[in-house]
Amino acid sequence: MIKERVREAMVGEGAPGETAPPVVRLEGLCKAFEEGGRQRVVLDKVDYQFDRGQFVVLLGHSGSGKSTLLNLISGIDRPSEGHVSVLGTRITALNERDRTLFRRDHIGFVFQFFNLIPTLTVLENVTLPQELAGRARRELEPTALRLLDRVGLADRRDAHPDKLSGGEQQRVAIARALAHDPLLVLADEPTGNLDDETGERVLALLLELTRDAGRTLLMATHNPDIAPRADRVLQLHDGRLVE
Amino acid sequence: MMVSIDLANGSARRAFALSTDAITGKATHRVAGGPTGLDEAVYRDIRVAAGFSPAAPVVEGYVGVPELSGQPLRLVGIDPFAEPPFRDYFAPAAGGANGGSLDASALTTFLTEPNSLIISADAAAEAGIALGDTLTVNVAGREIAARVVGLLRPADDVSRRALGGIVFTDIASAQEMLDLRGRLSHIDLIADDEAALAPIAALLPPDASIETAAARQNAVQQMTAAFEFNLSALSLLALVVGMFLIYNTVTFSVIQRRPLFAVLRMLGATGGQLFALILGEAVLLALLGSLLGLGLGVLLGRGVVGLITQTINDFWFAVNVQGVSVPPSSLIRGLAVGVGAALLAAIVPAIEAARTAPQSTLRRSTLESRIRRLLPWLVVAWAALTLAGAALLWLRGGGLFTAFAGLFAVLIAAALLAPPLTDVFMRLVAPLTGRLLGALGRLAPRDIIRSLSRTSIAVAALMTAVSVIVGVSIMVGSFRGTVIEWLDQTLQADIYVSPPNVTANRVIGALAADAVATARTWPGVARAVSSHTVQVQLPQFGRLVQLVAVDGDVSNGNRPYAWVRPDLGDDPWPALMAGEGVIISEALALKENLPTPPPDITLPTAGGPRDFPVLAVFYDYSSDQGSVFIGDATYRTLWDDARVSAVGLFVEPGQPVDEVTAALAARFAGRSDVLVQSNEALRRGSLEIFDRTFAITSALRLLAIIVAFIGVLSALLSLQLERARELGTLRATGMTRRQLWGLTLLETGLMGATAGLMALPVGYALAWILVYVINVRSFGWTLTMDLRPEYFIQALLVAVGAALLAGVYPSIRVGNMEIASAIREE
Ligand SMILES: Nc1ncnc2c1ncn2[C@@H]1O[C@H](COP(=O)(O)OP(=O)(O)O)[C@@H](O)[C@H]1O
Ligand SMILES: [Mg+2]
Repeated sequence: MIKERVREAMVGEGAPGETAPPVVRLEGLCKAFEEGGRQRVVLDKVDYQFDRGQFVVLLGHSGSGKSTLLNLISGIDRPSEGHVSVLGTRITALNERDRTLFRRDHIGFVFQFFNLIPTLTVLENVTLPQELAGRARRELEPTALRLLDRVGLADRRDAHPDKLSGGEQQRVAIARALAHDPLLVLADEPTGNLDDETGERVLALLLELTRDAGRTLLMATHNPDIAPRADRVLQLHDGRLVE
Repeated sequence: MMVSIDLANGSARRAFALSTDAITGKATHRVAGGPTGLDEAVYRDIRVAAGFSPAAPVVEGYVGVPELSGQPLRLVGIDPFAEPPFRDYFAPAAGGANGGSLDASALTTFLTEPNSLIISADAAAEAGIALGDTLTVNVAGREIAARVVGLLRPADDVSRRALGGIVFTDIASAQEMLDLRGRLSHIDLIADDEAALAPIAALLPPDASIETAAARQNAVQQMTAAFEFNLSALSLLALVVGMFLIYNTVTFSVIQRRPLFAVLRMLGATGGQLFALILGEAVLLALLGSLLGLGLGVLLGRGVVGLITQTINDFWFAVNVQGVSVPPSSLIRGLAVGVGAALLAAIVPAIEAARTAPQSTLRRSTLESRIRRLLPWLVVAWAALTLAGAALLWLRGGGLFTAFAGLFAVLIAAALLAPPLTDVFMRLVAPLTGRLLGALGRLAPRDIIRSLSRTSIAVAALMTAVSVIVGVSIMVGSFRGTVIEWLDQTLQADIYVSPPNVTANRVIGALAADAVATARTWPGVARAVSSHTVQVQLPQFGRLVQLVAVDGDVSNGNRPYAWVRPDLGDDPWPALMAGEGVIISEALALKENLPTPPPDITLPTAGGPRDFPVLAVFYDYSSDQGSVFIGDATYRTLWDDARVSAVGLFVEPGQPVDEVTAALAARFAGRSDVLVQSNEALRRGSLEIFDRTFAITSALRLLAIIVAFIGVLSALLSLQLERARELGTLRATGMTRRQLWGLTLLETGLMGATAGLMALPVGYALAWILVYVINVRSFGWTLTMDLRPEYFIQALLVAVGAALLAGVYPSIRVGNMEIASAIREE
C-alpha cells in the first residue's frame, strides 16, 4: 500500500533527504469562485511545500482562503489550476473515489465546529473512518480507546456528542482525526469555537499528538497568538502565501 | 383526483337527472303501472272520464342506435299534441322567440309515418346524421329501421344536453318497437295539488298508482347512491394521502429557508409574521396546485366518466353521458377542499417556522425531542381512535357514512402509530443491520430515529398507501373469488338463451315466443328452466327491485342461501314453485335491514298490492338492487304477463354439450334477437363486467403509490437539507460516494420496510372493514374473505420498492454534493 511505501520512504530511511517526498507540495495552485458571473480569485498561483513533522500555522483574516486551501490539500475540493501532491501522490490527478480513499487513509481532519456524527457514540465516531474502510469494529476499538484515553475521554466512550461540551467534542474530533494514524493532519480553526482556556488545552493536546509524534500538522487560524508555537507561520494574503 | 371523481360522478348523475328532467319535463306526478305498464285505455279515461288535463302518455324503453351512440339510449314514445305543456321543445313552431325548434311539416310526418324519429340536432350533427337519414333501432337484438324526420333544437343548454341521450318517436311506433302493444309506460300529469288527482285515483286499475315525479327519481337514484358514495370515499382517501404530501413539501420549504427565517427573526420579524408568511405561501401554492388539479381533474374526469357510466349501465340503468359537464359548484368545491387541505397540512410546518429561533442550529433537536415525548401519546391516540373507529363500525344502523368514518378513523389511527412503531422497529433492527453492514448499518436506523418527525411522516404516507392497496386487493380478490364460486354454484344449466342485452348485466325485454318454444324442445335438452325479469317498485320500501318469475332452479339445488325458513329443510325451491311465497336476495334483506326471519314482502300485482311470505334469502352478486324470486305460475296469474326473458337448458346426460350448443346457435343464426351462450361464455361475460367495475380501483392504487412515492421523496430531500453538514462531514472523513448512496438507500429501504410491515395488519384491517362492513352496507353482499400470501408479499415489495425508487434521486443528489460547501464554517 501507498501508506507503507511512504512511511518507509520517510521514516524508515531516517533523514528526509531528496528521496523522501514532502508531505504536501503545492504547484501553481489557483482557486477562483464564480460570483455573480465574475471570477473571484481566492488562491493565486500558490507554490509551496511542507515537510514532515512540522507544525505549520496558516494565518489570514476571515475570508482570505484558509479553508479553501485546506480543502484543496485534503482533496475535498478541486483547484481551478495547479497541482497538490500529498506524500508523493498527486491527488489532483486522482478521481473522486480515489481522492476519498486517499483522504480516508492518509489525512486527518479537525473542523472548527467539531462535526461529530450525532447518531454515533464517542467511540463509534472515532472508529467511523476506518470502519468505512471496511475494517471490523472489534479490531479497531483498542486503538480508538487508547486514543480516547489520551484525550481524556475514555470514560465517555458510550456518550453521544450532544452530551459533551465543546472542548470535549473537539477532543473526540482529534481522536477521530488520528485514529487511522495519518501522517498529515489538517485543522481548520480547531479552537475558533472554544473559549481561550479550553482552546489552549485542545491546542496542547493536538500538538502533543501530532508534531510530537512525528506528524505534520497544518492549522488554519485567524488568531496570531498561536503563531509563536509554530515551526513555520504562513500568511495568506490576497491569494498569495507568504512566510 | 377528487375533482375528477366528483366531476365524473356528477356528470353521470346529472346526465341521468337531465334526461329524467327532460322526459319528466314539467310533470309533477305520473301514473305508473306494473311490470308491463298501463293499459292505454287508462289514458283515455283520464282525459275523458275524469276530464283531467294536462296529461301526456309516454312509452319508453332502452334501445341501441349504433349510428347515433355507442351507449344505450332511451326511446321515448310521445303524443306530440299532448306534449307542449310538459316539454317546451315540443311547443308549436309558431315562430316564437325560442320555441321554434320543430317545424309543422316535421310534426306531420312524425304523426303519419310509422317509425319516424325526432332526435336532438346536436347529437345528429355530432354523429353526422341528417334529416331524412334512416337509422337502426336495436331493441333487445331486434333491428328496426327508422327515419329521422325532425331535429330538436331546444333553446336552453340543459335540455340540449339532456336530449343527447333520448330518441323520440310516436306512441304507436314505440309500442311496436318495444313490444308493448296497447300499453303505456306511464302517464305524465301536471297537478297543482293532490286533491286535483282524486278523480284519477278513483278510476285507476289496481296495479296502477300515482306517484310524484320526485319520488320516482329518488327511487332510481338510490340505486347508485352507494356506488357514488364509495367513489367519493376513495377520492377522499386520495386527499388524505395528498395532505401528507403537502405537509412534506411545506416542511421542505421551511427547512430550506431556516437560515433566512433566523435572520428575519433577528431583524425583528415576529413568530406570528413567519407563521402568516408560510400559511400565505401555502394558500398561494394550494390555489395554484388546485387550479392545476382542476384542469387535470377535468381531463381525468373525462376518462373516469366512461368507467363510471359503464358500471352504472352494467348494473343499474342506462345513462348516456354526453361529455363531462363541469359545473362551477364542482370546481369551487374542489378548490375549497384543495386549499383547505393544504392549509391544514401547512399548519405544523408553519408553527415550526414561527418557532425558528434567531440562532437556527439548535432547532432540529428540540423538535425531535418534542416528537420523542409525544410518542407515548401517539400510542394512546392510536388506541383511542381505533376504538372509536371500531365503535363506529359496530353501529349497526349506521349506514355507509359511519362505516366510512370508522374506516378512516382506523386508517388515520394507524398513521398516528407510525412514529412510535418506526422508532421501535429501528431500535430492533439496528443491532442486526449493524452486524451485517457495519458502520452504514448502524448509521441508517439511528438517522431514521433521529429525524423521526420527517421519516415517520414518510413512513405513514407510504403505509397508508400500501394499506389501501392491500385492503383493496384483498377486497377485490375476495369479491372475485366469491363471485366465481357463486357463479359456479348458481349457473348450472349448460346453455342459456336470451335476447342480447343493450346493457350487459340485465335482461331487458323478452325472448320471442317461438325462440322459447324451440329452445325448450331442442333435441338433446333434458330440461329447461325459464325466467322473466321485470322491475317493480316495492311499496313497503319505495325501492326498485327486480322481480324474477322462475319455473325451475337454474342452479339445480346448488344455490347457496343466507337463510331458509326452517320448516323447508335446505331447499326452498319446491315451496316457491308451489306458490307459497317468494325468495328474496340478500341485498334486499341487508339494505332494508330486514330482521331474520324477514317479514312478508308486499308486491304490486295487477290486482293490487299483495303480501308474500319470504321462504328464503339467497346470495345474489349479480345485482345490489335487490331481487325477488317468485314462482312462474304465481306470476303469470297475478300479473297477466306471458313473456320470458331467458331460458336455461340442461343437456341430457351423455349428450355432447358443445355440439348441442353449436346446433342451437346455428338454428338461431341470423336472428339478432336471440343469443345462445354456453355456460362458460356466460360466466366469462359476468367476470368481464366484474373486472370492468373494479378497473377504477387499480387507477386508485396507482395514484396512492405515486403520492406516497412523492411523499417519501420530499421527506428525504428535506432530511438531506437538514443533514447537509453531517453528510458533508461523513464524506470529508472518508465515506465514498458509493457508501453514501448505500446509506441513503438503506435508510429509504428501512423506511419502506417499516411501512410495508405496518401495512400488513392495517391492510388486513381495511380489507376486513371493506369486506364485512362497507360492502355489506353499500351493496348488501356478504363476501368470503380470501387471504392469499401474494397480497402481503406484494405489499412489502411495493413498499420497499417505492421507497427505494424514491431514494434514487436523493442519493444521486447527495452523492454529487459539494463537500466543501456542505461543511463550510461560517
Ligand atoms: N463554494 C464557494 N463559492 C463561492 N465562494 C466561495 C466558496 N467557498 C469559499 N468562497 C469564498 O472564498 C473566500 C475564501 O473563503 P474561505 O476559504 O472559507 O476563507 P477563510 O477560511 O480564510 O475564512 C471567501 O471570500 C468566500 O466567500
Ligand atoms: Mg475558514
